[in-house]
Amino acid sequence: MTTLPGILADLVDGVDAVFLFSPSGSYYERATEIEAETEVVVVAPENAVDADVFVELPLEFENVRNRITYGIEGAIERNLVDDGDEVACLTAVFGSDIDTVTRVRADADSHSGVYDLFVNSRAEAGVIRDVLEVAIELGKKGQKGKPVGALFVVGDAGKVMNKSRPLSYNPFEKSHVHVGDPIVNVMLKEFSRLDGAFIISDSGKIVSAYRYLEPSAEGVDIPKGLGARHMAAGAITRDTNATAIVLSESDGLVRAFKGGELVLEIDPEDY
Amino acid sequence: MQIDLDPAAELLGMVPPRFWLAAGVFLLSLVAGWLVGIVNRGILRRAGVPQAIEGTAIERTFQDLGSSTVVVLAKLSTYFVWGLGVIVALSVARVQVTAVFWTQAVGFLPQLFIATLILIVGVVVGDKVDLFVGERLRGLKVPQVSLFASLAKYTVFFVAALVALGQLGIAIEALLVLLFVYFFGLVFVGGVAFKDLLTSGAAGLYLLLNEPYGIGDRIRIGDRRGIVQEMDLFVTTVESQEGTEYIIPNRTVFRRGVVRVRE
Repeated sequence: MTTLPGILADLVDGVDAVFLFSPSGSYYERATEIEAETEVVVVAPENAVDADVFVELPLEFENVRNRITYGIEGAIERNLVDDGDEVACLTAVFGSDIDTVTRVRADADSHSGVYDLFVNSRAEAGVIRDVLEVAIELGKKGQKGKPVGALFVVGDAGKVMNKSRPLSYNPFEKSHVHVGDPIVNVMLKEFSRLDGAFIISDSGKIVSAYRYLEPSAEGVDIPKGLGARHMAAGAITRDTNATAIVLSESDGLVRAFKGGELVLEIDPEDY
Repeated sequence: MQIDLDPAAELLGMVPPRFWLAAGVFLLSLVAGWLVGIVNRGILRRAGVPQAIEGTAIERTFQDLGSSTVVVLAKLSTYFVWGLGVIVALSVARVQVTAVFWTQAVGFLPQLFIATLILIVGVVVGDKVDLFVGERLRGLKVPQVSLFASLAKYTVFFVAALVALGQLGIAIEALLVLLFVYFFGLVFVGGVAFKDLLTSGAAGLYLLLNEPYGIGDRIRIGDRRGIVQEMDLFVTTVESQEGTEYIIPNRTVFRRGVVRVRE
């Protein structure tokens, strides 16, 4: 006689770790009472439940796949789980409470780089998050209701400046403003109607707008069908240690490139 | 001869008119004090005082007592007006016995009022400073930094107490000496400890304002050459061709001078 709880028990049978995505306090309390062999890892934007084992989410990934990949890659990176471990992920898909269980095998080889993008980039994780947020916001609302494209090159600004040339006067000349400041975010959105790339330093300082990137595009492998802006973004990240965040004008998606490869693709409408 | 006055009226007639005047003055002061209290409360509320002092220890203490700082301050002004009214009424009534005492009291009352006010403001500002400094240093995640917040708080308390005591005419010379020693120590130790940071900051101010070089420029400082990656108030980050990153204090940039390398 098969019962529904029985089927579900098969799903979580013998897992090495349980990942809780943004659990509530009481949920976490209950989970910690599971027997000792299963490790309980909390993955959330902030450690609200005071968990011992915690992986910080830089964004509330709306895409569950990204969310779980990020959590697992973060855990592998920090040796919380080993390659080949079976992991049960408990997360929320439809509501704000945990409503979904999936079983994933932690695989160190299938490296999507989502965790790398935030943690091991040259620029600070907070800066990358701030720029992503600007791009997402811009993608959602557009510039005065019209869809716009934008290209942000974050980190390794000195080299990027040497591999690009100005298209016109730099509006950020001799200004010392940083991304994440609400007023600066408005400025970035206003200037997004200009052509060219924004260049942002490791610490989040906006170095320049209106830059034409001239990297060598040799050996850049990005999906076919993406335009010149994405090609430039992929190429500059291959040539330097920068990370590029692109808002596509045609399909409205936000993409992040690192090391010449597409690392993350998110739909602004989901946020 | 046959005027048969009402006994009550007769009794009233015996009271000298200045007593009536005094009673009037007193009543007037009651009303005025009450009005001043209400107006003050309104002004303080309108000025956003409750929001500004929210969460400070003194506000919490008052709230535990079923009141709030604004109410207490308003009450204080009411009592002040009432006290003034009593004194004026007494002097109008020419109550001789207490004259000497009251003249002194009259001189003293405003000072007492101001001293109380200074104390309350001092405590509120001290608490606020404590909160502010604590908030700023929270990002450091070092438990010991709360010491700095308390230090700042008690400094403000101490100064407020000094000013209040001085207002009351109490000898505070010894405490003043203590204050000067404390501040001298602070400035001296701070000056020595932060010497490098201060000189770097001053140099950095010029560098940021005038930008003799910017991010992306090739420069040489001393024997270190490379591309400028980052500049802030205190340091300039230069990355060499081989990928070595030099973090150079702006003090050094000024002392050694900068060479801009142009192809």
